[in-house]
Amino acid sequence: MHIALLAGLVVFSVVAVLLRDLLKAAISLAVASIFLAVVFFTFNAPYIGVFEISVVAGLITVLFVSTIALTKDSGDVKESKLPVIIFPLFFAAFLIVDFLVMRSLIGRLISIPGAAEQRTFGDVFWYQRTFDLVAQIGVIFAGVFSVLALFRKSGRKDE
Amino acid sequence: MIVLFIVVPLVVASLLPLIGKISRRFLPDLLANLTMVFLLGYALTSGRQLVAAGSAVHRIFFMDQPVNIVLALDAFSLFMIVTIALVSLCVTLFSIDYMEHYGAKANYYALLLIMIAGMNGLVLTNDLFTIYLFLEVAAVASYGLVAFGLGHDELEASFKYLMLSSVTSAFILVSIAVIFGFTGRVDISGVAAGFADLKAKYAVGFCTALFLAGFGLKAAIVPFHAWLPDAHPSAPAPISAMLSGLLIKVSGIYAMTRIFFNVFGFNAALSQVMLYLGTISILAGALLALGQNDLKRMLAYSSISQIGYIVLGLGLGTPLGILGALFHVLNHAVAKSLLFLNSGSVQQATGTRALDAMGGLGKRMPFTAATTVIGSLSIAGVPPLGGFWSKLIIVIALVEARQYGFAVIAVLAGILTLWYYLLIQRRAFFGKLNETWQNVKEAPFWMTFSTVILGLLCIAIGVFFPLVMKTWIQPAAAVLSAGIINALHGMGF
Repeated sequence: MHIALLAGLVVFSVVAVLLRDLLKAAISLAVASIFLAVVFFTFNAPYIGVFEISVVAGLITVLFVSTIALTKDSGDVKESKLPVIIFPLFFAAFLIVDFLVMRSLIGRLISIPGAAEQRTFGDVFWYQRTFDLVAQIGVIFAGVFSVLALFRKSGRKDE
Repeated sequence: MIVLFIVVPLVVASLLPLIGKISRRFLPDLLANLTMVFLLGYALTSGRQLVAAGSAVHRIFFMDQPVNIVLALDAFSLFMIVTIALVSLCVTLFSIDYMEHYGAKANYYALLLIMIAGMNGLVLTNDLFTIYLFLEVAAVASYGLVAFGLGHDELEASFKYLMLSSVTSAFILVSIAVIFGFTGRVDISGVAAGFADLKAKYAVGFCTALFLAGFGLKAAIVPFHAWLPDAHPSAPAPISAMLSGLLIKVSGIYAMTRIFFNVFGFNAALSQVMLYLGTISILAGALLALGQNDLKRMLAYSSISQIGYIVLGLGLGTPLGILGALFHVLNHAVAKSLLFLNSGSVQQATGTRALDAMGGLGKRMPFTAATTVIGSLSIAGVPPLGGFWSKLIIVIALVEARQYGFAVIAVLAGILTLWYYLLIQRRAFFGKLNETWQNVKEAPFWMTFSTVILGLLCIAIGVFFPLVMKTWIQPAAAVLSAGIINALHGMGF
């Protein structure tokens, strides 16, 4: 069951990278993210599962699709064929390394104390990881101000 | 209240875009600079007492209620905080005049302050996952700032930087996940204690490799340096100064050192890897810098080379090596930001960065030329400027540790450095004045003012180097030399 879910996740992620059509790639990414969310649910992590579905599969896909819809198709950009050849090789190499490393690592992982799940999500979020919230606010500000700055009317004098 | 180092810039940054609607230039200039003056003043006046008070770990109270924010301030983080505040203040002063023609000044300052808040947070936190988060805060702000000019080059450089940085984040995050899997903790002292009990040699090795690749990318050590020569020159000059002077050191060198020395514990294998990576960076950076015609690109390659010196000193792992490396962090931060700011003055005056097109600018821009000479000589390691002492200490440390080969390379690369910096002087500032630049004027007041401050700092650090060493660098180096013990007891729980 887990293997099938993880395999689905990997397959759809790979498809998202290899597809030429941006719209199809975005949808493929959303499907991959749903697989990931199901994995989260089966591992007893419902909060992160809900976030994964609502934010990654939902919100981000909507953003991607609307951006693709709004952008004009210029059509004359020739993409190099190189990634299609290199990517599978790279991916295979990654799988081999991943397998070798994880095989020796995974048996040695201690089982993480289940305390985090016993406390509520709100508890952990507000009382345990308070400082992370400050950082989250920072990241959000940085993102919003970057967007504001990059989509401003260029105030630069013509050079 | 150490938390002010993070909260003040963050709060001011959140207000700036609104204030920008009322006053487009004056208030944002004033607020951003006042914030930096406050941070520097606060770090200088109260920082030492806070460290001396002995309680490295600080819990925050809000309206008498304990909030679960744990910050750790030791001599090493204080040294970084002071360096960040010092260079950032000069950068904001420079921006008053320089950023005029870019527009959206309030937005620019907001992003700059968020980047500073991110760096301060990274330096002050005591938790691996929070390190990762603040790394992202500083990084996301810097993507926006690199692309701030909105030109084709800027956007391309920013995109490249963004892509490589996400790889970095992935490495770091995976490593933190593995650490959490093994120890069940993410706070620095907890992880150090966990690994000390586990004797999990391979897991530590695996995580070290991931961190080395991740933070190595951030610090632009040679096999991971490809993004830097694009990103740093494309950004507006004050941002190039921030990135080269501070960001690569804070998010690369600081984070790497803190984890390697205070969490995993330093070992011989890591030392070898860092020595070789450092030496390759020194040589590759210097040789690539020699061939550049673009002034800012040359400076960017020089940053790679100088980061190599820092890695070399740290990789040695001896107290003297660490001392030299940390001193070089300060010297390079001051001198390289000075040089990048000056390259901005030159670019604004002439409209070009090509060294070929310049010539004789020293006659028209005496302050810029003079401060550039000081900064160059400091980085190249000419006595009595700051850079000389730090390089000297690193070389002495290498000799003392019987690493003669590395010592010889470090000295020879110093000569290479002097060579390409003299090339800049000759091609840009000395010689016959190029006819085209007959009407070029010296940079506006605030730009000149901030570069003169940095120039004076280069000299002062060199002349008063025993004092600087004793008050700032030695306590910081002591934290690292103490190794894991420090993380377990100094930051203890």
